Amino acid sequence: MTKLTRRELALAFGAGALAGTAQASTRRPPVHPGVVGVAEARAELGKALGQETARLAMAGALAASVGAASGVEAAAVLFSPRDVVGIKVNCLAGKNLSPRVELVEALVNLIAETGVDRRNIVVFERSDRELQRAGFEIRESGPPYRCIGTNNDFEREPSTSGAIGSCFARMVSSTCSALVSFGVVKDHDLSGVSAGMKNWYGVIHNPNKYHDNGCDPYIADVARHPYIRNKLRLTVLDGVIAQCHGGPAYRQGGIFKLGMVAASTDPVAADLWAWREIESERAMRGMPNLEAAGRPVRYLASAAKAGLGIDDPERLSVVTV
Amino acid sequence: MSFDRRKMIVLGAAGAAANLHLPMLLAAVAQRGSSAAGDELPAREASWYKKLEEGRVECELCPQACKVADMERGMCGVRENRGGTYYTLVHSLACSIHTDPIEKKPLFHVLPGEKAFSFSTAGCNVECKFCQNWELSQFRPEQVQAYNLPPEKLVAAARRNGARLTAATYGEPVVFWEYVRDVAIAANAVGVKPTVVSNGFIKEKPLREVLPLLSAIKVDLKSFRDEFYRKQVRGELEPVLKSLEVIREIGVWLEIVVLLVPTLNDSAGEVHDLCSWVRAKLGPDVPVHFTRFHPTYRLTDLPPTPVASLERAWKIGRDAGLNYVYLGNVPGHPGENTTCPACRGILIRRVGYRILSNRLVKGSCPDCQRSIPGVWS
Repeated sequence: MTKLTRRELALAFGAGALAGTAQASTRRPPVHPGVVGVAEARAELGKALGQETARLAMAGALAASVGAASGVEAAAVLFSPRDVVGIKVNCLAGKNLSPRVELVEALVNLIAETGVDRRNIVVFERSDRELQRAGFEIRESGPPYRCIGTNNDFEREPSTSGAIGSCFARMVSSTCSALVSFGVVKDHDLSGVSAGMKNWYGVIHNPNKYHDNGCDPYIADVARHPYIRNKLRLTVLDGVIAQCHGGPAYRQGGIFKLGMVAASTDPVAADLWAWREIESERAMRGMPNLEAAGRPVRYLASAAKAGLGIDDPERLSVVTV
Repeated sequence: MSFDRRKMIVLGAAGAAANLHLPMLLAAVAQRGSSAAGDELPAREASWYKKLEEGRVECELCPQACKVADMERGMCGVRENRGGTYYTLVHSLACSIHTDPIEKKPLFHVLPGEKAFSFSTAGCNVECKFCQNWELSQFRPEQVQAYNLPPEKLVAAARRNGARLTAATYGEPVVFWEYVRDVAIAANAVGVKPTVVSNGFIKEKPLREVLPLLSAIKVDLKSFRDEFYRKQVRGELEPVLKSLEVIREIGVWLEIVVLLVPTLNDSAGEVHDLCSWVRAKLGPDVPVHFTRFHPTYRLTDLPPTPVASLERAWKIGRDAGLNYVYLGNVPGHPGENTTCPACRGILIRRVGYRILSNRLVKGSCPDCQRSIPGVWS
């Protein structure tokens, strides 16, 4: 565990005084194209991981994603003590198929241990209601971290990114200086996969407008908007329980115990990994692949073309711990 | 919260309503107040959809034909699949109410000078880059302040305000089809005339079912080019043309508005094709309004439509044999007036939404007795 000096602590508290205000990091952390760190984490459906198990899995995946010796060291590479870190969780499917609270809290702790003030770590989703349904407790100001719905707090004017024109949640446009997409590994009836990138549909006011053509190129267009692209540090995927069919809502018949947590600085590679795992499970069950099922995963190619990451399976580097 | 401007629209409407002596209405509708995102929206089963395998549904209301998985919504953002049943989230959930002159719709051949009690919900089934009401139409119902305003209360409010018409407008009535239907039924029961302002992007069956309930409909024909519909509107031309033909076949009073957007749909060739089609398929007596574009929403890099472009369209329309061609958003222009196609005398003189004079006698020209089509009584 990294210990903070008194000076670092003072800096951290100084940043805390600025809670709610985005302070852009002075440095852009390195991206590791194609690298996905994966750690084992097994649990039964509806059962929580133990706190220590969650921390080990989260720290392991995080460390592997950037080649660091520990989770805290990895977090320190990705986040500055001056950051306001927003962790967008995808809670659409309710408690059975949303990011686990214990994993999200493990990530919060790792980030906090690098000196980011806990008041400047915000776990958020579209609404308080969705967070609560997924098991999160609403915390307007913390401690031990803030957890709130954006609740329609959008920019007043739409901004354009490729084919999309949307008002973005102010949480991403102005509150946060660093972002994490914390998704789940699941099938989506239109885009094929809903993992880390589609999670960003939850920060625009009009996601319903962008589901045609397999959500392509819209998923990539949302993700390449400067509000996201310039602030995204990490994608984390909860694959303890995953879903290979019937998404995006929870559907019991599609659930499988993948038993993994993944992390990557490359959002495209993270989703590529999720896609691979979903296809693998479908193949094991004798189900047609997603393309044959009528929902080809098109958005990754658009995302790679936009320079957001690696969509070539040959260049996917899964580092398992 | 930063949806102040959207709130202002509603509050402005509410304020106007209050000025129009609607305290009872506001007291009633205030039961709901703001629709915070944390609330569960009220829902009624939607009218037009079919169930698919594995809990999915297919919407049969508009040509988007959205296939919607559980817990997801259609493109309109106001219809949601909950466990394999499709729901409308906006029945009786008005986010904007206002008493407007009927000329504002515009319906120039419908009870000139009368008030239309106008209402809208959130949502739209297309996404025009030049949408003038995007702060309502392009948002989901939980993102705007809204009121619980059942059809009977809405019609009662219209009557209290001396409105002889209701108008489903501002947003897109196609997406609140069930509400439009029920308001129309309630209005007809007490002699109030229901009207609709729509993009016409609706499937034929739901259109045919609602039309007999309406007194008039205005359709925005956004272009006569499918490419424009696909790129600028995210819709299609053909279903709109079909809707126009069905409306004429049923015989509901129809007026058409064409918003001329500089360089995108205002070429002489396109305007000519449009007018010729209207003349051939709908007849010369369907009023066509060419209106002026102002930069907004996602089209802010174009200037307002030059008046010369509007005047060119005005001439093209008349040369194509249309009897009633109007210009809009150019207050004081002679293109706002209704002229007798026989003797060329001015019958209704307008400035903006105001009627300066109306010389019609029982729907006819007082000089040559030419019958002027419309809803005059």
